[in-house]
Amino acid sequence: MEVSAHAIATIAAQAAIECYGVVGIASRRPRLGAVQRLAPEEYARGVEVRFVEDHVVIEVGVILEHRLRVVEVAHNIMVIVKYAVEQALGLHVVQVNVNVQALRVRE
Amino acid sequence: MARNFFSRFTRTRPQRASALDGQDLKKAFLAGYAWLERHKEAINALNVYPVPDGDTGKNMTLTMAAAMRAISEVDDPSASVVARAFARGALMGARGNSGSILSQILGGFSDSIADKATITPLDFANGLRQGAKSAYLCVEKPVEGTILTVSREAAEAAMESAERGAGFVQLLEDTMRAGNASVARTPDLLAKLKDAGVVDAGGQGYVTVLEGFLRYLQGAPVEQMAHAERETPTEAHRGIVEIEEEFGYEVVFLLRGENLDVGAIRSAINGMGGVSTVVAGDSQMLKVHTHTPTPGQILDYGVSLGSLLDINVENLQEQSLEYAQESARERGLTNLDLHGGAAHGGAASVNGARPASAAIGAAPAAPAAPPEPASAVEAREVGVVAVVAGDGWANIYGSYRLGGIVPGGQTMNPSTEDLLRAVEACPSDRVILLPNNSNIIMSARQVAQLTQKQVHVTPTTSMPQGIAALLAFNHQADFATNAAAMDKAIGDIATGELTQAVRDAQIDGVAVSAGDYIGLANGKLATSGRDQTEVLRDLLTRMGAGERELITLFSGQDVSSADAEAMAERVRGWFPEQEVEAQRGGQPFYVYVVSAE
Repeated sequence: MEVSAHAIATIAAQAAIECYGVVGIASRRPRLGAVQRLAPEEYARGVEVRFVEDHVVIEVGVILEHRLRVVEVAHNIMVIVKYAVEQALGLHVVQVNVNVQALRVRE
Repeated sequence: MARNFFSRFTRTRPQRASALDGQDLKKAFLAGYAWLERHKEAINALNVYPVPDGDTGKNMTLTMAAAMRAISEVDDPSASVVARAFARGALMGARGNSGSILSQILGGFSDSIADKATITPLDFANGLRQGAKSAYLCVEKPVEGTILTVSREAAEAAMESAERGAGFVQLLEDTMRAGNASVARTPDLLAKLKDAGVVDAGGQGYVTVLEGFLRYLQGAPVEQMAHAERETPTEAHRGIVEIEEEFGYEVVFLLRGENLDVGAIRSAINGMGGVSTVVAGDSQMLKVHTHTPTPGQILDYGVSLGSLLDINVENLQEQSLEYAQESARERGLTNLDLHGGAAHGGAASVNGARPASAAIGAAPAAPAAPPEPASAVEAREVGVVAVVAGDGWANIYGSYRLGGIVPGGQTMNPSTEDLLRAVEACPSDRVILLPNNSNIIMSARQVAQLTQKQVHVTPTTSMPQGIAALLAFNHQADFATNAAAMDKAIGDIATGELTQAVRDAQIDGVAVSAGDYIGLANGKLATSGRDQTEVLRDLLTRMGAGERELITLFSGQDVSSADAEAMAERVRGWFPEQEVEAQRGGQPFYVYVVSAE
């Protein structure tokens, strides 16, 4: 069975956006230095998927709420994204890298 | 200093049923924590969402434990002060998804009672509502059927009850009822729960905390709520007998078979005397977790249905005894003894010695269940040793479960030998040292040459910088990663120190007369003058506090809490855009240490 990178990215992004503390998915390559917050239909663009032999490496760009402990939230995202992709597609995810593109500060 | 939490609570219920002050609230929090700790295994066993790794109870308990440590020495009578310290402790110590959510609920609760010395039932209900609201704001796509839903629905009931004029006990009863009903509905909202035949673990944990509050308000003695942490062996023993009658053995196993019926199995086990039974999984594989006086009978029953895997039977009596002894031992070590050298962090005494359950639920064989982080009882992979001066600072640092604390500071620099002893006593082979003073960095670096252990010195020059470094510490990351993250983090915080010149001097090219107040920004003289308040204001301005978000004022050893609060009020006036917190630092020499982050 072949699974496209896009399918993996879609599942990974869906899992990430439901993680507590995640307030947005952001494009990995900031356009002109600014972080680009993605609309729901573009979430997959915030995720980069690489194949290393039979394994999968996932990079996900997120915007986090600043009032939380960021390292803990990032760790939760890694665990949750890995579980979601492995569970849904039966792939072995060896790495999930969380790129915190921005923190949201509210009044 | 930091004794057993329970030893300081002699009054068992609030004196005034119509309003709670800070110390009442502290006991209510303690009761919530103790009740949660007592039920954490059952909550662990419910955990199937978002990842079935069976750690929700543990994570929520650790989060509450961090919050408890943050208020263990807070004797302030004001409810808002206690709530704020508690919420901050929870935030700093948040573990996992559920712990992060809990920290936000507590944060919202604290914000809502921000200026109240005592709180009424209506304030409490408002706090719960604000807590739920805050929790929802921290996620783009809130998932219903989780602790979020439960906190919201419980808060709605609390508001209705308070508006009808209910007292605290009635209010909590109404809130609990709605909370339990909400927990029961979680499988209808979240399919993964329904598939696994469980209710939401985080929601259950939240209701458990509320139940602890309720029991306290009803007059139940807090110290009987936890099954560990006893004052004396005799009392510990009494507690154990109670548990033995109630539970006996804890039995956990995975059952593989055909056409397994979750509901029928649960009833059958309960019929055999199983208590707090959780059966989760599907028709081919499920997990059973129960407490029973007759483990053999339950296992025989399991074998009759299929094959058993990962069988774990534990004797709760023995365990509880070991646990109580362990707690007693830990307490001896946990005290942040400013004169006794290194102190081992206090997590073990509240964390429990029992390993958490393995992956469970809908997909017990899933490859994705992450490895359990090493129990806090064991040596940590990476330890942190910090140099700290002042009782308040010792408490603040103590809440981070460090590998060691060395007393010291401006006027009493610890020797290389003191530092070396603390590093050697730290239960980890890789140690990050926080000197927290520019004069100590050199000695700290020498320690690295003198020990077999791997030592990294994060060159912190002030205690707030040390806290910034600690916030970047990740217990799951390796030594090099932590060292780099902590080095980087110290640049994120600005530190100011306000002191009084003891003699005429020339400092950094500025003439200062004896008795003048001087303000140092990040270690450099920034301002001076006759008036303490003016110098502090100028210092904060020069530190760039106006561009930061949070200003924290740490008062020195001779500053009364009233003076500190009055000063914080002035700072709030000068910096209306910033959040301003007052904490006791208790440091010698500096009247105030301030940080801006």
